[in-house]
Amino acid sequence: MHFFLTLNKDGSVGFSPFQERINQDSKVTSYLCAPLSYATIQAIQEQLQQRDPFGFWDKGFSRKDPKHQILKILKGFGWNASDLTWKENSPSLEFGQDSLEDEDQAHEKDKEVEKAFNRLTMGRQLSMGDLRRLARQLKSQDEDIKKLAQFNVEQGSATWVPAVKPVGNGWQCQRCGEREVEEWPSQYEMAATCRSCESIGPSTSLGVLYRDVRSLLEGPSEVIFQPHWELTEAQRIASEQVFEFIKDPCQETALLWAACGAGKTEVCFPSAAWALKEGKSVLFAAPRQDVINDVAPRLQRDFPDYPLQVLTGTSSVKFQGGGMVLATTHQVLRFWRAFDVIFMDEMDAFPYQGSRALEWGLKHALRQGGKILYLTATPSSEGLKAVKQGKMQLIRLPARHHRTSLPVPMWEKSRHTIAPNGCTGAWVSQIKSLRIQGPVLMFVPKISWIDPWIKCIQRCFPSWCVDGSYSADPERSSKIERLRQGEFDLFVSTTILERGVTLPGIQVVVLEADHPVFDERALVQMAGRVGRTRECPAGSVLFLSARMTPAMRTAVRWIEEQNRLAMELGLIDA
Amino acid sequence: MKEFWKGAVKLAQTLWYEELQTCVICGDEGDLVCPTCTTDYLHPELGRCRSCGKLLLNEKTNCLDCEAGRGPKHLDQVTAWGHYSGGLRDLIQNVKFEARPRRLKEIARPFTNWAISQLPAVDGVMAVPMHASRLAERGFNQAEVLASAIHWELGLPIIEGVERSEATPPQMLLSRYDRLHNLKGAFIVREPRSIIGRTVWLVDDVTTTGATLEAVAEVLRSSGAKAIYGLCLAAGMEKILVPLGD
Ligand SMILES: [Zn+2]
Ligand SMILES: [Zn+2]
Ligand SMILES: [Zn+2]
Repeated sequence: MHFFLTLNKDGSVGFSPFQERINQDSKVTSYLCAPLSYATIQAIQEQLQQRDPFGFWDKGFSRKDPKHQILKILKGFGWNASDLTWKENSPSLEFGQDSLEDEDQAHEKDKEVEKAFNRLTMGRQLSMGDLRRLARQLKSQDEDIKKLAQFNVEQGSATWVPAVKPVGNGWQCQRCGEREVEEWPSQYEMAATCRSCESIGPSTSLGVLYRDVRSLLEGPSEVIFQPHWELTEAQRIASEQVFEFIKDPCQETALLWAACGAGKTEVCFPSAAWALKEGKSVLFAAPRQDVINDVAPRLQRDFPDYPLQVLTGTSSVKFQGGGMVLATTHQVLRFWRAFDVIFMDEMDAFPYQGSRALEWGLKHALRQGGKILYLTATPSSEGLKAVKQGKMQLIRLPARHHRTSLPVPMWEKSRHTIAPNGCTGAWVSQIKSLRIQGPVLMFVPKISWIDPWIKCIQRCFPSWCVDGSYSADPERSSKIERLRQGEFDLFVSTTILERGVTLPGIQVVVLEADHPVFDERALVQMAGRVGRTRECPAGSVLFLSARMTPAMRTAVRWIEEQNRLAMELGLIDA
Repeated sequence: MKEFWKGAVKLAQTLWYEELQTCVICGDEGDLVCPTCTTDYLHPELGRCRSCGKLLLNEKTNCLDCEAGRGPKHLDQVTAWGHYSGGLRDLIQNVKFEARPRRLKEIARPFTNWAISQLPAVDGVMAVPMHASRLAERGFNQAEVLASAIHWELGLPIIEGVERSEATPPQMLLSRYDRLHNLKGAFIVREPRSIIGRTVWLVDDVTTTGATLEAVAEVLRSSGAKAIYGLCLAAGMEKILVPLGD
């Protein structure tokens, strides 16, 4: 999308995406025929401002010709003078606004589209591609949607923003905050494309974002909240603290540190219900799609009539209204100052690059005075530091619903390097004794180990049913289902399993627990797979390695600490 | 503008030979264009229709459409680097619709090598022009980026002087008949002096019926161009006609 730069009667410099509208605008004296990117328009306005902070246009002090100044700026960007011509504007008054009123039916339809457009774009930050998709959804023309957007900009309820903007000597993507962009020479000047958020559509310095500054909700409303569960004692305490935090005007962020499998999400539901009733919008965000897929049905069940927007992956979802949104990382980038309350689930479990974009997205999706609650089983060191410095409130949820302590990992020192070449180690007998307690889940640090270990275990225990999987395994979901059914004696895996997968009676072994891929978070999560059901509330976790790493030590300390706190608060039975 | 590209290309050239080589089409490690992509999309073993550039599955020199006189008439020869499908189509769409013109620079060398092996030497290279409003929206003309890549690889001068006078609907969305008539009057020669008596490679990203190349070739011819060769990244493939009966 591009814009035309206008010189107005009052001496100001304006812009419009529609040449034909300029021709009808009596305020415009002349305009530049070359279509410009919004980044360029903004840069010109800024530079003119800098050259004359007192606004000489209005006062007519300066004899400098604004046209000349603007051309000079554009030449500085690499433009050729021959590409830049001015056109004097002499609006023909015959095409008054009244002529639009003629066709009533068409007018009626326009009103419908306008209403829908405004309902679906509140609090959003949309690219041209998004707007085009919205046009299709509303069965409208791209041009008409652009006009509605421009109208809102003129009314002050939205702004245009260059999608990638020159900042200092470089660039910054205004959608995701990335500064490392792919630069290329465009026809007239240097341009840049952001690669970091390309999965939700291109973001370039020639493109523009439509930023709507209105809140998602217009005010308090009736909200039906029917929880299908009862909070445990531990959850009730945490839930009350979350509620206090959400209502407290002084606190901006808080950290909910929960034991694995303690049910941290439900703890937030009562606060979410309160917020929605108050007319405050709520976002549940998570870096991984499986987390969203796990939370969505539970929210839907407990908020039976509430329109829930679920935005995951990179697929384009239908635009929807309403004050409660569930979204994965990149989808958060489509909102602008939209939410009063953000529940951010397992931010630090974010396994991929791009967490910078997530941080940027969260910060900008939050309304002024809004609140973020981080939910985690494995807090980051930055998070804990912020708590220590008093910048962030800490809320604890140390116990599971069945009032049994978390299984503490045991370390089995291996004298030899662990490799799948015949099961000679003494720990083979330990795997055997684990199997007596329940099926065994064996974590390995690399995909190439899965097959050899399956074969090796199979050789040692010919009667066992053994299989394995990794995250990109095409048969993964069917294997996980069989694992859940208890069909395997031993299952080899590289990654902690998807959220929401509960394995009754499972026992855990981590091979080469000192491998660098296993940080304290991964270790706590893997150990956290054990003892999650009421029927099998206990079990064993075995770390196998030649060395004890700081990560292993931290993992054990965290788990022991949760148990100690739970004991102190009387949340577990000894 | 051209200077910018030169600088950018130089930078890219010095960078990419030090880095790990990956296939420019699919991204796998190894060759500049990996054997799989060569087999799947480039089909160097197949002939190209001399009139429209289409990939041919038999030993003929022209496709059926062109044999029947329904193809371009003002071009001396047309060739396409590969088949407009799969990874090559993804590459071209990524360049155009996700603003990644730099990816075209990465294929400069193999594309130029193909051109040299297929087409006679010429005085210069010319890009199929793009209309100003589309250019403003996209920021670059992919055909121009390709032409400047060839210019950089071979030192061939870039010939300008033709303009696109109106924005026509994208050729892809039209029927064959409309494609051939959509472009009447779309191109105008601004500087006949740069064209008279010259031989050129006329470059575009994709050709399906050859209509765009033909429309430009027509005005070049009437301005006195001596020989015009069409060169594209990708073209369609002639459908195999299954003989009826026995
Ligand atoms: Zn970005
Ligand atoms: Zn390849
Ligand atoms: Zn042909």
